[in-house]
Amino acid sequence: MLSRLRYTLRETFDSFRRNATLTAAAIITAAISLLGVGLTLLSQHAFDNLLARWEGGVEMIVFMRPQATTDQLALVESALESQNQFIQSWSYCDAECSLDEADRVLAGEPGVLELLTADTITTQFKAVPTEGTDVDLLRQLSSEFAEFPSVFDVKFAEDQISLITQLQSFFGFRLLLLSGFLLFAAILLIWNTIRTAIFARRREIEVMKLVGATDWFIRVPFMLEGLLHGVIGGALASAGLWAWNSQWTSGVKEFPEGSGFAALVVTDGYDKWVMVIMLAIGALAGAIGSGIAASRFLDV
Amino acid sequence: MIRLENVTKSYSEEVVAVRDASFDIAKGEFVFLVGPSGSGKSTLLRLLNRQDRPERGAVWVAGRNIVDMPPSRVPHLRRNIGNIFQDYKLLLEKNVFENIAFAQEVIGRPKHVIQQQVPAVLELVGLDGKEERLPNQLSGGEQQRVSVARAFVNRPLIMLADEPTGNLDPATGEGIMRLLDRINKTGTTVVMATHDQRIVNTMRKRVIQLDRGVIVRDQARGVYE
Repeated sequence: MLSRLRYTLRETFDSFRRNATLTAAAIITAAISLLGVGLTLLSQHAFDNLLARWEGGVEMIVFMRPQATTDQLALVESALESQNQFIQSWSYCDAECSLDEADRVLAGEPGVLELLTADTITTQFKAVPTEGTDVDLLRQLSSEFAEFPSVFDVKFAEDQISLITQLQSFFGFRLLLLSGFLLFAAILLIWNTIRTAIFARRREIEVMKLVGATDWFIRVPFMLEGLLHGVIGGALASAGLWAWNSQWTSGVKEFPEGSGFAALVVTDGYDKWVMVIMLAIGALAGAIGSGIAASRFLDV
Repeated sequence: MIRLENVTKSYSEEVVAVRDASFDIAKGEFVFLVGPSGSGKSTLLRLLNRQDRPERGAVWVAGRNIVDMPPSRVPHLRRNIGNIFQDYKLLLEKNVFENIAFAQEVIGRPKHVIQQQVPAVLELVGLDGKEERLPNQLSGGEQQRVSVARAFVNRPLIMLADEPTGNLDPATGEGIMRLLDRINKTGTTVVMATHDQRIVNTMRKRVIQLDRGVIVRDQARGVYE
């Protein structure tokens, strides 16, 4: 068992050395395509952060002053209930819920986040309008709520929000499509690299078959080589993603407060998940490319 | 050890390499396959280690009909068969020791077994002390000895040799034949394709003669005709 493992590793790394140029090309292509996948996932998550408070069809948010009493909250509740022909549903986001949301929305402004506590944060009533409710009517409603003394502010899901949603969908789909093509190219390149490696070692393979090596024994070093192409590509892409995300996050901190970019950063550990996903996709792409080549071209 | 029953192998409708061949080879026999180029000698050897399959007939090796053998069992069959070729088929970037060890490594022999058996077989073929040399630092005869060592290191039941002296001068060829004779005396069945008249006439072993794929003579202690 140990001798087989030693043999497999030695042959795999020998093949890396012999096919250095093609190997480098396959790894770089895999890395670029996986970085594309990673950036798409990361940017989608950043957009989700930006739109976090508008999830679930919410189009109007009534922000309550931190000092608002139970009676004042009940007053706003009954006002929302009375508008049931225009407001389909509403929910109350208390201090804890608002702090959680702030972690995402203000991820790029840690200074502001530090100042927020359960006593200082504004709580929120989130309203989902009835289908077909006129936009101008909603604007009018929002200005009525703004006049309540316990209300700090009323935000309305303006056109900007739908524009961001459209942008998210537009870029997300196209970036993913481009990454998909690049990933396909990486699989083809890994496939071709393994095919070349098999051809370069055809004499050895012929001898191996004649002395009784099984097809799997011959195949495994090639499959491992392809798998490593994908995994190394994934690791390089992960390093690139980490560098990109770190640069972006520290860059956003330099932007003026309230510039709107604070939510467009990923600081909740999601980037680590994306790196794991990239490594897994890289390994899968490598295994597919090399597995097909090793099965198809072994009869040399 | 080997039995062919009415074996026919063709590469196309016009090219019939072996036609209705039948013979038995007992354990420990030394058999020459003789005949002109294209008579079907190499095809017969390829049928014996399942590199080719016949259209008709049965090929029995060590008690099993290998024609219907599932592909997954073929490697196990080949571990019992050593192969020697006219062009040696050595791996040029590996040294003598590594070339021989390779045959053991790829079937999963542990390192300590390899370290023990390779020097022994190198001594048998007269190449002890040349373990570190690369194939291109050896003469043709020495390269063929490495090839014989690689074929024999796993102690096969059968040794198939396809024109092993074809690229060698007569004196060196004789040395290889002495080596094969020694291996045969250990109980290994040897089947050798050749058209080297002098060797066949000197050794006086069983001779199976082929002509355009047909066995035309099967003679004990035969000579080249």
